[in-house]
Amino acid sequence: MADVMTRLEPDTRAVARGLSDMTIRNLFIIPTIAFLIIFNVFPLLYSLWQSFTDFRASTTAPANWIGLANYRDLLGDEFIWRNFTITAKYVLISVSGQVVVGFGLAMLLNRAIPMKGLITTLLLLPMMLSMAVVGLFWKLLYDPSFGIINYFLGLGKFEWLADPQVALFAVAIVDIWMWSPFVMLLSLAGLSAVPKHLYEAAEIDRASSLYTFFRITLPLVAPILMIAIIFRTMEAFKTFDHAYILSSQPTTELIAIRLYKMAFLEWQTGMSSAFAYIVLIMVVAITNIYVKYLNRAKAR
Amino acid sequence: MAEVKTTREVVMNRAAIAAVFVALIVMLTPIYWIASTAFKPRSLATTAPPTVFFEPTLTPFAKLFVRRSQMREPVDQETYDAAPWWEQLIYDDGESVVRNRRSGEITPSGYWDRYKNSLIISIISTFLAVSMGTLTAYGFSRFKVKGENDWLFFILSTRMLPPVVVAIPMFLMYRAVGLHDTHLGLIILYTAFNLSFSVWIMKGFIDEIPREYEEAALVDGYTRLQAFIKIVLPEALTGIAATAVFCFIIAWNEYAFALMMTNRNAQTAPPYIPSQVGSGLPDWSVIAAGAFLFLLPVAIFTFLLRNHLLRGMSFGAIRK
Amino acid sequence: MKRFASRLLAGAAVGAFIAPAAMAQELNIFWAEWDPANYLQELVNDYEAETGVIVNVETTPWSDFQTKAFTEFNARGSAYDLIVGDSQWLGAASEGGHYVDLTDFFVEHDLGNIMAPATVKYYAEYPGNSGKFWAVPAEGDAVGWSYRKDWFEDPAEMEAFKAKYGYDLAPPETWAQLLDIAEFFHRPDEDRYGVAIYTDNSYDAMVMGVENAIFSYGGDLGDYETYEVEGILNSPQNVKALEDYKRLYSYTPPGWSKTFFVENNQAITEGLAAMSMNYFAFFPALLNPATNPHAENTGFFPNPAGPDGDQHAALGGQGISIVSYSENIDEAYRFLEWFIQPEVQKRWAELGGYTAHAATLESEEFRNATPYNEAFYQTMFRVKDFWAVPEFAELLTSANQRLYPYVVGGEGTAEEALDALAADWVETFKKYGRTE
Repeated sequence: MADVMTRLEPDTRAVARGLSDMTIRNLFIIPTIAFLIIFNVFPLLYSLWQSFTDFRASTTAPANWIGLANYRDLLGDEFIWRNFTITAKYVLISVSGQVVVGFGLAMLLNRAIPMKGLITTLLLLPMMLSMAVVGLFWKLLYDPSFGIINYFLGLGKFEWLADPQVALFAVAIVDIWMWSPFVMLLSLAGLSAVPKHLYEAAEIDRASSLYTFFRITLPLVAPILMIAIIFRTMEAFKTFDHAYILSSQPTTELIAIRLYKMAFLEWQTGMSSAFAYIVLIMVVAITNIYVKYLNRAKAR
Repeated sequence: MAEVKTTREVVMNRAAIAAVFVALIVMLTPIYWIASTAFKPRSLATTAPPTVFFEPTLTPFAKLFVRRSQMREPVDQETYDAAPWWEQLIYDDGESVVRNRRSGEITPSGYWDRYKNSLIISIISTFLAVSMGTLTAYGFSRFKVKGENDWLFFILSTRMLPPVVVAIPMFLMYRAVGLHDTHLGLIILYTAFNLSFSVWIMKGFIDEIPREYEEAALVDGYTRLQAFIKIVLPEALTGIAATAVFCFIIAWNEYAFALMMTNRNAQTAPPYIPSQVGSGLPDWSVIAAGAFLFLLPVAIFTFLLRNHLLRGMSFGAIRK
Repeated sequence: MKRFASRLLAGAAVGAFIAPAAMAQELNIFWAEWDPANYLQELVNDYEAETGVIVNVETTPWSDFQTKAFTEFNARGSAYDLIVGDSQWLGAASEGGHYVDLTDFFVEHDLGNIMAPATVKYYAEYPGNSGKFWAVPAEGDAVGWSYRKDWFEDPAEMEAFKAKYGYDLAPPETWAQLLDIAEFFHRPDEDRYGVAIYTDNSYDAMVMGVENAIFSYGGDLGDYETYEVEGILNSPQNVKALEDYKRLYSYTPPGWSKTFFVENNQAITEGLAAMSMNYFAFFPALLNPATNPHAENTGFFPNPAGPDGDQHAALGGQGISIVSYSENIDEAYRFLEWFIQPEVQKRWAELGGYTAHAATLESEEFRNATPYNEAFYQTMFRVKDFWAVPEFAELLTSANQRLYPYVVGGEGTAEEALDALAADWVETFKKYGRTE
């Protein structure tokens, strides 16, 4: 990676004035890392320990060490497997939807457009709302009797949320609506950094617009787009509020919903910690792959 | 930027503007619906088929700020006439105002207090998350750090664990150190939530700023700190603006921890807004009014930062 | 800007470091956000006037109520002195040590006889028939029905109904009639539908709905003392009850797949359905012309009888308990002593609370106070409830997983669903050592 090669050794003092580079580096980095460690270590270790016990936070009964029993039970539960499949499908639909819509909007906006600042702000509005409010109002919008979606689109009594096959898409559409602006804003920042002269050169070479897109635009935007995808994927795995409010279909029971019920309705604290660790391992694995791609995109 | 516009470019530009217009309509219809519901009388909020045209009213906003209860018997004319206009609006909508029996004062709803708490907590935590994130991102971007990829991944991973699981230990931890139900507690919590995001986005932006400019500045006699402040920060403004907007949104709308970690001192607005569903019939227009007023600060904040958001990374041109 | 920021910081610091001081002259009651909580606030203002002790009723949305309450309990939080908790919580809250044992208080004030028997049994006592009490019945509630009087009394409709079913159109007295009427009014072409029922399976909504059928069909969810489930839960009458509940679902308005009290009231106010199942506590909104344009034309009836004449209804409602971690337990006891006085209970009923006080309930005055009080009074003497064991939420989860796909998704048969559920429950009880 070219990046690392040009980076400074902080202990070779590049400048003899002011604070040394070493001091600056440490001052800039250590507080953040120390804060995150202090803040996260106790909850993480605590729930890791709980995941090997039959602890229930709602009772006074002591927690018994039961080894891997929670993990075994979870991986043997047919409903849990269904939660995983549903979540995988949901993450795929919603993240790819956000990338297509968000990046598409960014491409459209990346030119001289009147009132660009206002238009961008307006397009960002959906993600500024609270998830619970979004859930409540989209439930209303989807409603076959009171909703404007069927009314404006002339879909009659189409049942967005009551049809088990459609419900997951309906939930994903809300997520796409809400978070495409996030991808859009980051992509826009990346796109505006693509130097104009590269396009001009491509034009002189009579390169096709597809070629220009894949050879010039995409590689240059890739790093920041990748960061957007990483964060949206991580968040999509945790989707709870609007999905919980919109639908209670078994076909839309995402991991986070099952996890919430296990932890806060049933108070199976130990079991839910084990569940969360399984999810964590999955998300870490997936994110790792993404980060590899990100580093490769940067190296190019 | 001198531009030679070809016919093709002009046509493409017009098509793009048309497409943006369509996208605006699609994206904004639900927002418009929330905003318009905020000005609807309760009876028109849910109708089959939906009501599109109506005479706007301020009743939902009047109701949002006071504690109300279902009217059991009609209010007598004398009280009605003596009441201020907003109280009359509430009576008109079939609800009565809950008063303190002794002082006769109107009991405010929790909305305004919670709104203030939301402002305090979100502004401070956004400031902290963005500034710490920017410094850390600069540190990682410019200097060698042992195991830096692992550290960065650690920072990222703090956002991966489903929040429901850390909630219980977090709650116990907060209780133990007295941060439970305090502004400071939520500020720390949201700063921690947003840090991983802030570090990663800022590193993405700072990586794009060519280090040659800083080095030139160092040669010119700047210290490293001066170079950071005078060269890097201005160039990273787009990233800082974008990060600030995102962090503010996340802190502003956080629901689950706000619900669990606070009782009466530091409660924020998000868990309150949907509670208007409770009285047997959802008061959609009051929910909409609460959501609408709650959207304003973020929308204004974003609008003020719009030029920074759109400026892009101007140094990218000489990126290798 | 700098000054603004520093002021904010100062505000935060003050907020952070002045911990709420424990004042004996203040009591905090926790409940869900709904009208009865407002009525309670009005009621306790009298207590403040009499004693100078300030009582605050603090609320949170229904959907967060359980989570918030138990998070407080589990952390041994002293934020609330009293809590108006759901009946199913008794097991978890008493075994977990979160509620103060009120048995002595109960016996001393003879509450077992003063309060309506069903409310004592379900809101206060745990385990069943143990003679141990954990709450004072506060807000009685059960499921009843509202209906559109104008549709029922329309001569043309009455004639058509009689011709089709051979008896007069009137509020149903049996589930068979309920099904007929739902079918009769179900006319999707006219945007009119037969009935609104509970289908939300995220917590206890759908199960409450199904219970109304099961209990009236003479069935039970199991033996609450021996934890026997097999053969009781999946009995033939329960299979029939579940089948009929599914039939009712086919007469609901479109998109009726995640509905609870909000949607069911809306079905009446928006003129969607002829009949709607709901808790009595939500009926006042249906009588308010400002919230229900059909207020004058809305009537009420109790949950109808089953094929064998059994007539029961699912229980709602809450008792008020003292939180063990409260720093004002003595004051809380004094408050409860005040709360159970007959005149206070009468005032509570007048304000709109559903008293559990037997004498008040039985008074003519109460029964004639609203169009639904009579139905409420009748229902309160024949209510049944879900399991109150600490693991009730796990039982609910299994029930939702097994029943919802059958009722809403149309998968499998009622018998399969109940057999599978019985097996799940047997396993859960084994896991907690309640059965061998």
